[in-house]
Amino acid sequence: MTTARMRYAGGLLGVTGMAVGLLLVWGTGWAGHVVLWLAGALLLHDGLLAPLVCGAGWLLPGPTGRGGPVRGVLRGALIVAGALTAVALPALLRPGAPANSSVLPLDYPRGWLVSVLAVTAGAGALAGVRLLARRWRRAQPRRS
Amino acid sequence: MGTMQPSPRRPPRRLPSLPARISALHDARTATVVGRWLGLAVALCFGTGLVSHLLQHPPDWLRDHLPSRPAWGYRLTQGLHVACGIAALPLLLAKLWTVYPKLFVWPPVRSLRHGLERLSVAVLVASGVFEVLSGLLNVVQWYPWPFPFVPVHFAVGWLLAGAVVLHLAVKWPQISDHWSRHAPGTRRLPAAHGPDRRALLAGLGAAVGAVTLTTVGQSVTPLGKLDLLAPRHPGHGPQGLPVNRTARAAGVTPVGPDWRLTVTGPRPYELSLAALRALPQHEVELPLACVEGWSVVARWTGVRVRDLLRAAGADPAARVRVVSLERSGAYRVTEMGATYAADPLTLLALRLNGQELSLDHGHPARLIAPNSPGVLQTKWVTRLEVR
Repeated sequence: MTTARMRYAGGLLGVTGMAVGLLLVWGTGWAGHVVLWLAGALLLHDGLLAPLVCGAGWLLPGPTGRGGPVRGVLRGALIVAGALTAVALPALLRPGAPANSSVLPLDYPRGWLVSVLAVTAGAGALAGVRLLARRWRRAQPRRS
Repeated sequence: MGTMQPSPRRPPRRLPSLPARISALHDARTATVVGRWLGLAVALCFGTGLVSHLLQHPPDWLRDHLPSRPAWGYRLTQGLHVACGIAALPLLLAKLWTVYPKLFVWPPVRSLRHGLERLSVAVLVASGVFEVLSGLLNVVQWYPWPFPFVPVHFAVGWLLAGAVVLHLAVKWPQISDHWSRHAPGTRRLPAAHGPDRRALLAGLGAAVGAVTLTTVGQSVTPLGKLDLLAPRHPGHGPQGLPVNRTARAAGVTPVGPDWRLTVTGPRPYELSLAALRALPQHEVELPLACVEGWSVVARWTGVRVRDLLRAAGADPAARVRVVSLERSGAYRVTEMGATYAADPLTLLALRLNGQELSLDHGHPARLIAPNSPGVLQTKWVTRLEVR
């Protein structure tokens, strides 16, 4: 009973917050454009980002089978490299010159490459350790 | 659910074509664990966003009561805001990946309640993606939208926070059923998925760590060496400090010897730069903390604002209007509340890290106050008006 009441109270609080958000969006005077951008964000995710991520997942080896032991490491490396790439993209793709030399002062293609290479090296080492550990375990005489 | 006898209301089903390999971890336990992390990130973003909004645009009744301490307050809250927003990117994508098959439930709408729930989820997804995307673009100063960023990011932040709370209330039974590893719902999931899920979550945790480590150096300066991808880097900028608005962008040119600081109040007066330098100078270490997330601590030297106001006969609880030489801009004229004006750390600074202020950092004089957003640290000050 208490849980049900808490849920209703939470729901009401959430709807109130959303109503405040809608009023604030309306108050900006740009409601039409904001709605278009929100719809665009939804389409960008559901139509492009999610299928891309699912497609990458589909290429992974299955949880059982030959690739099993390195599957976790490979998927982890893809997630980390993907996240680093997504975070680097605005700096990599931003058109036009920055407002001054202290805005975007770094060599971002290099930074992205270094970070992704570090992930590759780390994941390679981890996968190597795992494969060796498995081989070592298999070589041990079995205890019954 | 029984499927042996025909029922008038068919149970919802997913599209059967998703390969098992893809859909293995699209379950409520994964959604709950990732959702907890994402919920924390959204809560921190929302809370720190409110702090930033209140400091930048306080309602008039609050202006004189905003705390000017701790001095590092805004550096912490706004650094957290941007860092949590960046960390939310992999978390948001992972959360949405987990529940993506639900997009294809059939029939799409079962009832009014189900329709409303799906609508609220659409608002949640749209506002979540929008907030992270707009924030990431804004910090690299890329504005592809026609609307002003600040009010829209703030408004959609409310929409997102409300949608999250509503979502928690709606999904509470599933969340509590999968809260822990030993919760009843988690136990009903295939046990073989446990290690695979933990590996996925470890990868996701590593992604959060990686994007944080490669960007957070723009505010946590000891990690500056790891700052490979952030839009700012401590040490890059005139006098070792980043700049947002240059003198050129603000339409400010070097001032001549005829420059005067005007202080209005019961006993108004004017000071030349030489006279300002002759007043008692104080040195403070304060961060310059930008709303875009970067911050750097620097050593500032100048005259205490409260001394300048007192000399004009101002009440100790007076607020002050600060006017800049800038030609235009939203922050050309700002109001500083009484707590800030009275704080001994608030200076009209003339020097930065032991050198005369450069033009881009506000020569001949600029404000520097504790616990304050960078946009309110007015550069090129020409007038202080006691209110």
